[in-house]
Amino acid sequence: MPPLEQQPGIDQRPEARDTMQQVTAEVLESMFFTEAEPAPCEHGWLPGAPCARIGFAGSHRGEMLLGVSAEAAAPIGASFLGLDPMELTDAQRGQVLEELSNILCGAMLSQLWPESKLALSSPELTRWQEWPGEGLLHRCFTIPEGMLGMSIRLISAPRE
Amino acid sequence: MAYTVLIVDDSPVMRSFIRRVLGMSGFEIGECVEAGNGIEALAQLGTHPVDIILTDINMPQMNGEELLRKLGADGVLKSIPAVVISTDATNERILRMIALGAKGYMSKPFTPETLREELERVLGARHATT
Repeated sequence: MPPLEQQPGIDQRPEARDTMQQVTAEVLESMFFTEAEPAPCEHGWLPGAPCARIGFAGSHRGEMLLGVSAEAAAPIGASFLGLDPMELTDAQRGQVLEELSNILCGAMLSQLWPESKLALSSPELTRWQEWPGEGLLHRCFTIPEGMLGMSIRLISAPRE
Repeated sequence: MAYTVLIVDDSPVMRSFIRRVLGMSGFEIGECVEAGNGIEALAQLGTHPVDIILTDINMPQMNGEELLRKLGADGVLKSIPAVVISTDATNERILRMIALGAKGYMSKPFTPETLREELERVLGARHATT
């Protein structure tokens, strides 16, 4: 696969950080029946956290990475599905994490670029990565069940 | 009147969530049938009389756009109102799905209340014209 070059970008939009906070709070409250508050970035929990990655392409191209602390993954999944956390299967926990990344990414992009034409890829479970470089928008949040971290960046088309 | 709803989404947990939220909304649901893509949806419609279709857009094999085209081309099925439920809330996408025949469009996130309001609007409009 050709190397991808990072675009300068999403963090240069002054409203982007606020949009990420607002969208995350709204998604967690309305569809996962919990709350999210911005938190200091202390990333010791992220390397072992369940994560999902989702890409997007069209008038903007990039990717988003979502990590949820291990202790929060089951309660969030259970809340989404209306189950007891003990009833939740590993497969359901992963699928809910993928769905959460899909909803957050779509809502973020639609708010930042309502006139854009974008297509999201299918989310996939992965490991957390600390993306290097500037142009990255990242925030951490506390939720009653644990922590949530999110990074989003724009990338250029593959170099020929 | 209790309505039969067809939920079309490739994510099993999203289908479960929509089913759950329909129950929470207080909307009168008689039966929910499910499909994982447009092909399965058309198969379900061949065997189940349905009052309203809630469909995602991005699905394998047959996506929501193609499903709307198929419904619109069918003399019987085109009378069943379809509401799109998607993460994509860009203006271009909404206008395209409405142009293809969707009677409503709900972007995620949504609440049980907004889902109920949209279903009442769409089914109310249908009943007003029949």
